[in-house]
Amino acid sequence: MTATLGRFLILASVLVSTTGAMISFAAGRKHAPEGVRWAQRFAYAFAALMILATLTMEYALLTHDFSVSYVAHVGSRSVPTWVTIVSLWSSLEGSILFWGAVLGIYIAAATYLNRDQHAEYMPYAIGTWLACGAFFSFLLSGPANPFLTVPAAADGPGPNPLLQNHYLMVIHPPFLYLGYVGMTIPFGYACAALLRGRLGLSFLKPMRASLMVPWIFLTCAIMLGGWWAYEVLGWGGYWAWDPVENASLLPWLTATAALHSAIVMERRGVLKGWTVTLIQASFLLTILGTFMTRSGVFNSVHSFTQSAIGPTILAFLAAVLIFSIALLATRIDTLEAEGRIDSAASKEGAFLFNNLIFVLLTFTVLIGTVFPLVVEAVKGKQMSVGRPYFDAMVVPAGTALLFLLGIGPALPWGRSSRQQILKALLPPIATGGVLIALGAAFGIRNGWTLATMFVGGYAAHVTLAQMWQPLVQRLRRGDSFGNALVNGQLRRGRRRFGSYIVHSGAVIVLIAIAVSSTQRTQHEVKLTKGQATTIGAYTLTFTGTEVRQEPNREATIANFNVAKNGTPVTTLAPRMNQYPQMREPIGTPAVYSTLKGDLYLSIMNLEGDTAGVLVLWMPMVGWIWFAVILMGIGGLVALIPSRAVIAVEAKDSVAAAAPALS
Amino acid sequence: MNRIVLISGIVIFAALVGVLFLNLGHDPSAIDSPLVGKPAPSFALKAVGTGETIDVARLRGKPAIINFWATWCGPCYLEHPVLVQNARVLGNQVQFVGVVFNDTEQKIQAFLADRGSAYPTLLDESGKTAIAYGVGGVPETFFLDRNGKIVAKYTGPMSTEDIQKNLAKAMK
Amino acid sequence: MIFLFVLTLLQVKVPDIAEAPKGLPVAGAMLDQRTNEVASLLRCPVCQGLSVADSPSTMAQDMKHQVRELLARGYTQEQILAYFERSYGQFVLLKPKFQGVSAMVWLLPIAALIFGAIVVLSKAKQLEQGPAEAAPADDPYLARVRELVEKQ
Repeated sequence: MTATLGRFLILASVLVSTTGAMISFAAGRKHAPEGVRWAQRFAYAFAALMILATLTMEYALLTHDFSVSYVAHVGSRSVPTWVTIVSLWSSLEGSILFWGAVLGIYIAAATYLNRDQHAEYMPYAIGTWLACGAFFSFLLSGPANPFLTVPAAADGPGPNPLLQNHYLMVIHPPFLYLGYVGMTIPFGYACAALLRGRLGLSFLKPMRASLMVPWIFLTCAIMLGGWWAYEVLGWGGYWAWDPVENASLLPWLTATAALHSAIVMERRGVLKGWTVTLIQASFLLTILGTFMTRSGVFNSVHSFTQSAIGPTILAFLAAVLIFSIALLATRIDTLEAEGRIDSAASKEGAFLFNNLIFVLLTFTVLIGTVFPLVVEAVKGKQMSVGRPYFDAMVVPAGTALLFLLGIGPALPWGRSSRQQILKALLPPIATGGVLIALGAAFGIRNGWTLATMFVGGYAAHVTLAQMWQPLVQRLRRGDSFGNALVNGQLRRGRRRFGSYIVHSGAVIVLIAIAVSSTQRTQHEVKLTKGQATTIGAYTLTFTGTEVRQEPNREATIANFNVAKNGTPVTTLAPRMNQYPQMREPIGTPAVYSTLKGDLYLSIMNLEGDTAGVLVLWMPMVGWIWFAVILMGIGGLVALIPSRAVIAVEAKDSVAAAAPALS
Repeated sequence: MNRIVLISGIVIFAALVGVLFLNLGHDPSAIDSPLVGKPAPSFALKAVGTGETIDVARLRGKPAIINFWATWCGPCYLEHPVLVQNARVLGNQVQFVGVVFNDTEQKIQAFLADRGSAYPTLLDESGKTAIAYGVGGVPETFFLDRNGKIVAKYTGPMSTEDIQKNLAKAMK
Repeated sequence: MIFLFVLTLLQVKVPDIAEAPKGLPVAGAMLDQRTNEVASLLRCPVCQGLSVADSPSTMAQDMKHQVRELLARGYTQEQILAYFERSYGQFVLLKPKFQGVSAMVWLLPIAALIFGAIVVLSKAKQLEQGPAEAAPADDPYLARVRELVEKQ
């Protein structure tokens, strides 16, 4: 019953999205207002069907309806309820259903927010979105159908144990999907601009907002993935340059570049074609990313998500790529430059270099990830491109970006005299020097890290100075602190304020990554009950093991007392979780986080009374997670619409209320 | 028509989609052995049960099969009787040898008692021989010709057919 | 040579490294550090992309011990990496070798950097020029106005 309902809803969404796409594109060409209305209706209908189908699946999961194929695949009566709820996105077909639902929500929201505006662009945008929706509906109706009817078993195996190991796994996939899927919306706008042959500056607002929202989610999702790897996998790192990790980074890089070039587009009316290309690339990279995760072609930690739909996704990627290239080749020249830049030694110039580095980073990470496949295809041999390569390439680029983070905002817009430029660029050097001294005082000797400290200090100075500039200016004019704060930073200057919050976060992230990678210390040791080991100022005493039986797993826990300089501070309990369906237990490390750094303990092996453990001291790791959250908050602040939009709408309603002229 | 965009687009399309397409269906964890065609790395290991030391030179003169396995490996459990049977049939013409690593002598003895034994099983305590042979997982089997050169490597559990197909290369 | 002779006498069950160590033996804390460094250049063959230094699997532990022993006996990093490459192929090297096809993975980003810098600089120049002449050359009125203005 439930399975049939689900299949019906999916089929309906295939029909609705395909028809809707065709109608929307036709409406776009004909400029008929009635056509726009129909396009909107189809958009809402698609969203409703996808959401209903997802709710149907959740219902099936929660009622343990094992006659539905997906539930038979991942459901289980012996897992906690929260695991049942999140098992929607734990496995292939369910995750595509989740993708469809998120896409539906995004399409409905974007359609609603623009329901009375941009009527020249919207049908093309809706058409593009519904065409993408049609592909995912098609996947769900056939190759990745979660609603097949199977003979009902009494119980199921439950979702992959890796997902039950840590609560971070609950939020990482939704955030990732909200980021990935969200890139479809700006893609639709970009296609609309190209199809229309025009990109008016008024259309910039929805385009940027639609790029910002998924950007925020994707930034947090990448961080959550790293945090999860750190807290769960036990090797003491948060980024392995795994192909699937790289897949999530690639669209983030191009989206960030696009957000920056959009600023130049807004200020100067140039770089329109380039920004549109970057947005197309961001969407294409999300499709590439989902192909990399699901196709099994890449050797990766995520390979439990392999499936047979790889070729289908590749076909979609090829189709969208052809469509984008054709559209760009024929229409990019219609997006005329309305302006110019005055000089390369200006903020605009810095933006150009920012874009260069981001695109280079994208290219390099893509090359490194795909290269083993190239060699395999060309020579039939296997080779690896691992961390040493990526670190060698990305570290200099990251430092250059940090450098630009400092110089860019310091430089004025447009042309300025040599004196002005020097006046802007020289003072922050002092702060850079302070940070190097601080770093050296804390024992940092690594060249790149010290360089990062200098450049980071420089960037921090500039960012803070620019961030609080409106406040300072108002205070100078005699405003009270409260007024200056609210008017300068929160009411009027939100976008600017938000952007600098993001930059502050970025500076902290880059410094924290440099410090945590180069200043970490570790050792492996075998301890019997009662023995202790030291790392830094901490002493860890092994007090024994215990076995705990939980409904879905058996946990063997090794208990440790942690003392700092003699005084007990906490206990750590790394564990080995044995799930019934896995041969080897999955280890979960124990982490003690402080402001200075993390004490990290992971079990290597347990034999009777002896525990072989990996002890790690990772300085400043916690700063990374919080700084990325700060970036997300900054993005949110920048997103909040300003008064101007609301004022316009109010005027319209007043005008409408006026008596009609005869 | 913007030529630059068109040409770079076509290049990117061909390169990216081409590479991905050509790799479809290919298992990225299947690694070819670089040792095929080279002399078998030397080893000298103790046989389980008899305690005698067998080294690789002992295998010369006849084609040989070196099978790496372990007691905790499911496919090895299934493969073992196949090897034992083939060894009984071909014992005069082909030298069979098993090498176990990351395991204990007790467990191996129990396994052999259960699944049968028709040829020496050697214990690689340090795992160095496995490393020298580039063993990534178990079971993996190497086929040597009578001069001690590796002619083939088979990854995974073998059937009699697999054994015979690869032996044919060793017999040449 | 004597070293190898003694080795054969001891019947040490060491796999076939025919060559002599080219460096000096390492010991103590330095040995730990070097083991970690070399191990992080080797790929664990049974894991999904982890290095031998990071992987908890027994295969990786064995390989790490092997690395440690070879370092202690004075083998250089190049020799150790070459040894593992002989057994496992290029797959086991996490840092691509700068030779043959795999040199491309190092060269392409550098080429892209140079190419990209040229593109950005020329684009910046072009943008400084401003938008293309909007007025059509054959507009008679504009031409007349220009004429009159220039006359004055």
